[in-house]
Amino acid sequence: MNGAPILEIKDVVKRFGSRTILDGISLNVVPQEIVCIVGSSGTGKSTLLRCVNGLEDIQGGEIRFEQTRVEARSKSIKAVRMRIGMIFQQFNLYPHLTALENVMLAPMVVHGEDRKTVEERARALFEKVRLSQRINAYPAQLSGGEQQRVAIARALAANPHLLMFDEATSALDPETVGDVLAVMRDLAVEGRTMLVVTHEIRFAADVGTRMVFMDQGKIVEDANPREMLAHPKTERARQFFSSIRG
Amino acid sequence: MSGSLVFLPLFLKATGTTIWLSWLALLIGAVGGTLIALLRTSRLWPLRVIALLYTEAFRSVPILIVLFFAYFGAPVMLGFDVSPFVAATFALALHASANMSEVVRAGIESVGAGQWEAALASGMRMREVMRHIVAPQALRVILPPSVGVYITVLKESSLASIIGYFELTRTGLLVRETQGGGFGPLLALAAIYFILSYGISLCGAALERHYAVGGATSTDAVVGGMA
Repeated sequence: MNGAPILEIKDVVKRFGSRTILDGISLNVVPQEIVCIVGSSGTGKSTLLRCVNGLEDIQGGEIRFEQTRVEARSKSIKAVRMRIGMIFQQFNLYPHLTALENVMLAPMVVHGEDRKTVEERARALFEKVRLSQRINAYPAQLSGGEQQRVAIARALAANPHLLMFDEATSALDPETVGDVLAVMRDLAVEGRTMLVVTHEIRFAADVGTRMVFMDQGKIVEDANPREMLAHPKTERARQFFSSIRG
Repeated sequence: MSGSLVFLPLFLKATGTTIWLSWLALLIGAVGGTLIALLRTSRLWPLRVIALLYTEAFRSVPILIVLFFAYFGAPVMLGFDVSPFVAATFALALHASANMSEVVRAGIESVGAGQWEAALASGMRMREVMRHIVAPQALRVILPPSVGVYITVLKESSLASIIGYFELTRTGLLVRETQGGGFGPLLALAAIYFILSYGISLCGAALERHYAVGGATSTDAVVGGMA
């Protein structure tokens, strides 16, 4: 779990107009780390992920992914995005394509791979997310949990070096959350590098190798998950963990 | 009325002319309207303003005025005569493009931000997102109101009779004159327009069913009919 960082975030500032969303964030991620980002709503966790693949531009600091500087409006952003898989809270599957087509589109269009290779890999991915029998269904015919697992397969299809989960289970029915978390666990066991914004503290404690607590656009604590849960160093983190345990 | 069957070939030919004129105008209008819609959704505000002015101008001015401008104005402003056909096509297409631009814009905007983000995050370029994600979804939203636009163009094409173009209405009126007036030719005109419009509606409804979510789509060609 050591080696050169795959992702380097340094002093990043993100503003929307006069509001500062990210206020000097620094974070390095090395291969095979599973970094869980936790904190209250509106503290900039999702925005941080969106800055990493250039869905948002930044107003200060620097982000490097595998040595490439991430610049939202530059042509080089494509090369970064090709190596990062992102999973969204609202799944964002393409409704006009079947589950299989959803998974196959980017490898064919963006990576220029041939159909046969991609289809073979896609079918294997559906097995991995335990949805082989729903391969030809359209998103509207799938439950939320199934859609999110298709979205995970879609993100994996391009062989990404980093997976980013943006509150992947927040929009799901309680009974389907487990299916999605189980798939995420499998990925962790495989040794995938993951950046996970989540409210599932149990998952973060079990699977995460590292926990980052954010508050008001800043990283307040950064430690081993079990350690942070047992002994939060700041009052703010203590409050947060006790409030979500109910 | 028995003798009026003599005019049947004439009516058929004129119906063909009307279909050709309105179809051509719709085609040009759809292409123009799509371009205007892309300007309307551009990131550069001057382009958005130009597109907005264009749309509002041609939706607000009666088509008859545009037609007169094209037919009587062209010789004055451009220095050459235009045929009634060219003037009529031009006027109808301008009007149709203004209407189509709103329809296409609504279609493009109906595709949510999440779709753009997912596609961009996978590494697609804007053009690829447009082609593979936005266009196929927008088409389904665009189709029903474009049928309405086409029916409007079809009916508006009757105005070309005023500048002397022998489409359906002008032909019907001529037949009426040769018969010394009467309602017969007018009824025939109304019936033909009704049949055309209703036919277009039915075709539109059939297309809509074909493209309903979960059906075959144009993107199947890309991913290669595997469903």
